[in-house]
Amino acid sequence: MITIQQAQVGYQTTLIDIAQLALPAGQIYALIGRNGSGKSTLLQTLIGQLPLREGSISVGAFSLEELQINAALRAKQVSFVASMFTGVEALTLRAYVSLGRVPHLGAFGRLQAADMQFVDKVLQALNLSDLAQKDTRKLSDGERQLASLARAIVQDTPLMVLDEPASFLDYFNRELLLDQLQQWVQHKTERTAIFSSHDIDLCLQKGIPMLVLHQQKLTLLAKPTKQEVVALL
Amino acid sequence: MKQRSIQLLISTGVLLLLLIWTHLFVLQQEQGANSTLIFWEFQVPRLLSALLAGAGLSLSGLLMQNLFQNPMAGPYVLGINSGASLLISLLILGAAPSFLNELSYVSAAMTGAFLAASFMFLVSKRVQNIQSLLVIGLMFASFTGAIESVLQSFAAPEQVKQLLIWNMGSLQQMSAAQAPWLGTIIIFGIATTLFLVKGLNAMVLGDAHALQLGIKVRQLKIVILFVTALLAGSITAYCGPIAFVGLAIPNLARALLKTQDHLLLILFSVVAGSFFLVAIDVLILLLDPWMSIPVNVLTAVIGAPYVAYLMLRQR
Repeated sequence: MITIQQAQVGYQTTLIDIAQLALPAGQIYALIGRNGSGKSTLLQTLIGQLPLREGSISVGAFSLEELQINAALRAKQVSFVASMFTGVEALTLRAYVSLGRVPHLGAFGRLQAADMQFVDKVLQALNLSDLAQKDTRKLSDGERQLASLARAIVQDTPLMVLDEPASFLDYFNRELLLDQLQQWVQHKTERTAIFSSHDIDLCLQKGIPMLVLHQQKLTLLAKPTKQEVVALL
Repeated sequence: MKQRSIQLLISTGVLLLLLIWTHLFVLQQEQGANSTLIFWEFQVPRLLSALLAGAGLSLSGLLMQNLFQNPMAGPYVLGINSGASLLISLLILGAAPSFLNELSYVSAAMTGAFLAASFMFLVSKRVQNIQSLLVIGLMFASFTGAIESVLQSFAAPEQVKQLLIWNMGSLQQMSAAQAPWLGTIIIFGIATTLFLVKGLNAMVLGDAHALQLGIKVRQLKIVILFVTALLAGSITAYCGPIAFVGLAIPNLARALLKTQDHLLLILFSVVAGSFFLVAIDVLILLLDPWMSIPVNVLTAVIGAPYVAYLMLRQR
């Protein structure tokens, strides 16, 4: 459950003004908005990288302020998939995905048997097993994007925030991504995923609730239709 | 994958032991009444210099490459040695002779190294590309070099000679009494680094990413700066500036192990760094009957082409 109250989001000026909004858990939400409407800024705020200008946002039992101060706690509550991961030399896909377990590991960063099984399971679900030993520099953009999703799943947090996670994915992998996210939020209670997207048609087709961002306002459409969305944009 | 890394680590370790044996018992056989004394007062400290400096320099290189998020970073090319060198010159030339002891030497070198590392780190926030950063490191080195030259013109000939010898870099300067000091510092540095493994692994993805994985990035960076200065500074104090080890060995480690797991990288860099410097010293001993070569000449002959190759490959 994400609760937003009287929140003003922005860097130096207020970009988004949200009076009140509650997002029940067990759902994925598509954040829709035109270029420059502040989608990324909102996402950066949700993951605790950008402080709120006013008001409050709570993620489950914690306020965003608490999470901002305590990085270790935040890493167990919120995971983030950035829009672009360019790869790191000598870092294999499997090693990259395994880094998602970092918040749950001891000082030496050793993976336990259970961690490894978890990683393997997620790799398999995303059809990445065959690429596990490949250098992240040598993957395609789409493969890296799926790997980033795998890393966030492995992090195992109540909230997952994704910044245009499907921008490099082909048709089949877009379906895979949305299906996996749907499964992920329903697999455990109190899970929520928010992703920004420009693919309105696919989200409508899948019946995904939408958060529409325009002219500093954020509107939740639980059962959106195309007319409603377009009218808001 | 992991098995291969461990095999590589063990085989490098075994080779290192062979080299140590060669270094101590094959190439430096002393006969006569003083042989035991020479063994403990000269041969062992010389070997320990190579072992400790090799391990510490390559580890500090690995840490700097993580901190700057760039594989071309290293204590020598970014002027960390120069910072240490400048403060040591100031100490040798400026301080009263009674003040010149173990503690003042090492702390001067470490302060210099820490200041230089912090300065370069601040610069790196503004200058993103590594080529510019390397040029600034070079400028910094020639700037401190110039100050040292000016200082030397005021110094007594004896002091100048002392500085010149120190500046050449040598594995024969450390005395038997100094060895435990350097040993303690290097082991402390390695041990501290081992506790940073999780953070170092996450830092590979960049600051924002690491933060999102729960790493206290700012704290980690300060610890890295401190340990780097501790390692590079103390080695510079005891052995003078030694080039290329810190830059080349961690790159070799990543290329051979094909991993970003810093536990393996730390262990391999330490062993391979020691191996490299002991091997260099074995070469120096072999060539000794014909010519005496300073350690920096050999590290440069081997290290510089390798670093140039890495630069070219980066493009």
